[in-house]
Amino acid sequence: MESATGANQSMPEESPPTEGRAESITQQVPQEEQGQLLYHEETIDLGGDEFESEENETMSEDSSNFIDKLNEHMMESVLISDSPNNSEDDVADLGCLQDASEPPEGSTDHSMENILAKGAADSLSNRSESDGEETPKDISDMTPDRASLKEDPEQEEVRGVPASEHEGAEDSGPRDEDAPPERPPSELSSRQSSPKDEPVPVCTIFSQAQPAHSQPPLFLRDGFESQMVKSPSFIGTSEAAAKTPPQMVQPSPSLSKFFGDTTNTNSLASDFFDSFTTSTFISVSNPNAGSSVPEKLSSVATPVGQKSLGSADPSYSPGIERSESGVSMASVEIPQSPKPFSQIQTVFAGSEDPFATALSMSEMDRRNDAWLPGDGTRDVLISVATQQYSTVFIDKENLTMPGLKFDNIQGDAVKDLMLRFLGEKAAAKRQVLNANSVEQSFVGLKQLISCKNWRAAVDLCGRLLTAHGQGYGKSGLPTSHTADSLQLWFVRLALLVKLGLFQNAEVEFEPFGNLDQPDLYYEYYPHVYPGRRGSMVPFSMRILHAELQQYLGNPQESLDRLHRVKAVCSKILTNLEQGLAEDGSMSSISPENRRASVQLWRSRLGRVMCSMANCLLLMKDYVLAVDAYRSVIQYHPEQEPQLLSGIGRIFLQIGDIKTAEQYFQDVEKVTQKLDGLQGKIMVLMNRAFLHLGQNNFAEAHKFFTEILKIEPTNAVANNNAAVCLLYLGKLKDSLRQLEAMVQQDPRHYLHESVLFNLTTMYELESSRSVQKKQSLLEAVASKEGDSFNTQCLKLA
Amino acid sequence: MRLTKPTLFTNIPVTCEEKDLPGDLFNQLMRDDPSTVNGAEILMLGEMLTLPQNFGNIFLGETFSSYISVHNDSNQVVKDILVKADLQTSSQRLNLSASNAAVAELKPDCCIDDVIHHEVKEIGTHILVCAVSYTTQGGEKMYFRKFFKFQVLKPLDVKTKFYNAESDLNSVTDEVFLEAQIQNITTSPMFMEKVSLEPSIMYNVAELNSVNQAGECVTTFGSRAYLQPMDTRQYLYCLKPKKEFAEKAGIIKGVTVIGKLDIVWKTNLGERGRLQTSQLQRMAPGYGDVRLSLEAIPDTVNLEEPFHITCKITNCSSERTMDLVLEMCNTNSIHWCGISGRQLGKLHPSSSLCLALTLLSSVQGLQSVSGLRLTDTFLKRTYEYDDIAQVCVVSSAIKVES
Repeated sequence: MESATGANQSMPEESPPTEGRAESITQQVPQEEQGQLLYHEETIDLGGDEFESEENETMSEDSSNFIDKLNEHMMESVLISDSPNNSEDDVADLGCLQDASEPPEGSTDHSMENILAKGAADSLSNRSESDGEETPKDISDMTPDRASLKEDPEQEEVRGVPASEHEGAEDSGPRDEDAPPERPPSELSSRQSSPKDEPVPVCTIFSQAQPAHSQPPLFLRDGFESQMVKSPSFIGTSEAAAKTPPQMVQPSPSLSKFFGDTTNTNSLASDFFDSFTTSTFISVSNPNAGSSVPEKLSSVATPVGQKSLGSADPSYSPGIERSESGVSMASVEIPQSPKPFSQIQTVFAGSEDPFATALSMSEMDRRNDAWLPGDGTRDVLISVATQQYSTVFIDKENLTMPGLKFDNIQGDAVKDLMLRFLGEKAAAKRQVLNANSVEQSFVGLKQLISCKNWRAAVDLCGRLLTAHGQGYGKSGLPTSHTADSLQLWFVRLALLVKLGLFQNAEVEFEPFGNLDQPDLYYEYYPHVYPGRRGSMVPFSMRILHAELQQYLGNPQESLDRLHRVKAVCSKILTNLEQGLAEDGSMSSISPENRRASVQLWRSRLGRVMCSMANCLLLMKDYVLAVDAYRSVIQYHPEQEPQLLSGIGRIFLQIGDIKTAEQYFQDVEKVTQKLDGLQGKIMVLMNRAFLHLGQNNFAEAHKFFTEILKIEPTNAVANNNAAVCLLYLGKLKDSLRQLEAMVQQDPRHYLHESVLFNLTTMYELESSRSVQKKQSLLEAVASKEGDSFNTQCLKLA
Repeated sequence: MRLTKPTLFTNIPVTCEEKDLPGDLFNQLMRDDPSTVNGAEILMLGEMLTLPQNFGNIFLGETFSSYISVHNDSNQVVKDILVKADLQTSSQRLNLSASNAAVAELKPDCCIDDVIHHEVKEIGTHILVCAVSYTTQGGEKMYFRKFFKFQVLKPLDVKTKFYNAESDLNSVTDEVFLEAQIQNITTSPMFMEKVSLEPSIMYNVAELNSVNQAGECVTTFGSRAYLQPMDTRQYLYCLKPKKEFAEKAGIIKGVTVIGKLDIVWKTNLGERGRLQTSQLQRMAPGYGDVRLSLEAIPDTVNLEEPFHITCKITNCSSERTMDLVLEMCNTNSIHWCGISGRQLGKLHPSSSLCLALTLLSSVQGLQSVSGLRLTDTFLKRTYEYDDIAQVCVVSSAIKVES
């Protein structure tokens, strides 16, 4: 205890009472600076050039305030004093109302007071780096104790120097110096003087981890998305997303070598795959041809099979230029596909039997694929329908010519981290499925998706698309589409979005335009899909197409696209109500089919509305978002309690606790009707959130715990209860709860939000959090696929 | 670690339909994701709380909360640990620690936890100084400090404007309307929980920020209960002097203290902030010794047709009897009818006289009645009265409803 008091005694020495403003801190402010402060006080010099840019900003703000005042001199700027606890008796002269919290300093103008305060503050901050932001900065860099804390972890022995003595020695150093604002030398000197100081228990607050999005170069390298954890209320996340440099996965050099110049030289590769595409149909109509096709292709330039099957010959499908097709393929392409083509072919062999579909276009297909083309597109489609046997020439710009824009994004961030932190041996143990280890088909694709190896799945989609002639470098080259190729594109793009690789998704989405080009309609391929009508583009792909923009920072564009989708949905519903077919044509639909169709399109309309609401929420337009969510209820009445709770949470986020409470009460009314566990949990959850909004963490914790009594495996309640514990000052309890939860069911609970909380608490607990994080990494490595977002481990 | 309120995790919903290639796969993935809302997976705003990931901004009037954890990283037991947390502002140093008692011992891998709260009352740099002293097993006294700096910013911009109403013509002191513009200069939406004017002892206040619609008080701000960043909202208050002060006309002359605005707001998950303005002051309209007020004036008059106004002239001086002469000066649009320079006779202190005047306007539109001059013959002092009132002048073709 003596040392402590000793230290306390030493402090007043360092901080002469005359500098009441910043006691022990000002001790290190050089005299020169003090002089400048005085100078300011006397002359009200607003220049302050010797200060940092931040200071200058404040100046300009001030001056603009003055201009404001001049412009609208009727409005007088009132300085906000502060909390009511402060007494304010100072009735200063009119026009310049004093900040009551500041000790009265004569009749100084308030702006000047500000500057004084800033000046003093800046002279403090000058000593640290030119940061000056609101971000907490550990300014103790310059102080001796901090220097002593910069221990190297190997040295375990505690060998202390009496603190007061230590400080005194250090302090004299900086004071002697002339002390320019930036003072790295002082840091150096202090570090040199106490290099052997040992680890002491470290008080860790405000971990110094950089905000995730401040490291763009890293993401460029591994293609990861920075916004791991975000909420609309997080300040500036969307702006940050917009600012981060495009996160692109570049084609590997090897592939660019293969594909790089195909577009220019009109090489054989493109034609090879084009013809391969058509041969798919051959194989479908002639099952025996399936296995032999690859051999034929690799040996003969113009496959014989094509000519024999006139109906599927691409020469009849409009828009495909014949001139390019009769060239031989490039042999270099063959190693590109890891499995024999016959296997890939099974992918396309699915439901696309032209003869079968010709016989009857199923009701379900019509219902699902219905879409209303734009005027231009409709004209093209009509002309295709009427001139069946001659080619219709269509402007190249109206065609969809997609192609992969990057060859692979495989790679496993978890493994990379393991290599870095756990060594090669441990990393070698990590086994995840990749595109090579599964069947090269839809089955394999689904397998990859369900075990969360989305990167590999993206890769496999790319391979399958390459086999379809829409591989790397094929963008801008004529191609034909099938329902399956579009489904593959949808899956690939959806996974990219799920992975947060929005830029990549955007680039590959681009050739699809607004998803309304004529070659995306079945009518465009009368020979391949005789009698079939509607769009090949899956409805979910339209949603994805619209939603993508909001993640790229263009929520307005998202809204526009969603509104277009919504308009078509509404029109189709109107058509159905008027007794017409979906597309407005006169055709007889049986009542049950009509009902099913109405149901489908209503749910789609609900889906669009929900996307709009999400988008509005992202735009922080809460009023409209709430309206949109409310309107979703009529399309998805079964989700009413969830939606109402969601709206309640939105109000909580804004800070409108009363309205939130009203919504939560509505939820209680609704859930009363449907008894059941879920309703009960929802009510308890809402009550807990309400207490959270009232700053009552103890009560909130009680309710979260109550949910756990009903459903012990509830991840949300578990996590939230742990968060409450932290706010109640029970770090260890909180950690215990989260760790228990993760250990109990790692498959389920290794969720990034949980891990993020866990690592945050590890960082708070001790400056040696890396070890614990590494053990989390090991847990992740054994359970999670390659789509795991390693950002939440905060190891980088 | 600063304990700002936790935030709700948002997910990126990607769905597909039954008939699509992945079948139910995407939807199943969303259902399995613990961060989505059970039963409504498309809802972006989940229920999972996440801890604050950075310091964020702190604003004047908010409460600064921080978790202080002292953890024994070593493998030795240490004794007599004293943790002290001080907040250093530009003007003072505050002790924030909950207890100042030393903890007897701290075992390896154990920690001392404290959550501190402080309502921020100053703008500018704040420094949290955490000092820890302890005794090692060997009996050595150890001490270290850590500093954490943060800036406190201004959350609101408040501008005020006073209007002196002349409607209440019977008393010398009138109603005052206060218009206050409150602007959110933070970067997050702000819910205004309470904006009220606390009047000084001389006034009663009526808030004019809601209207009565079918028996229900509806706020004039509509459904938008919150302020987006940089949004400004305008509040209106009507202040009436209390009777006892209204009678003593002298008190409300000159600079008076009106009161102060009390503002309470909430942001993310109920993070609360509260501010008060300093005392708002207003210069009571300088009536001087002689006050001229209007008793009657038509609101709309015909062009080039005479109309009548009634003025009331009050001697506001304390003991002086005045001898006044009235002059009427024409302006571009207003022409006075009658004799200029006539004697009004003696006016005793605190007494008043009513005066009917006739004038006409030669210009259409909203015209200001100006140009009255009263001269106190005794002091040879002239009082000028311009912009006494406005009238709307319309073409004679339009029938003015009386």
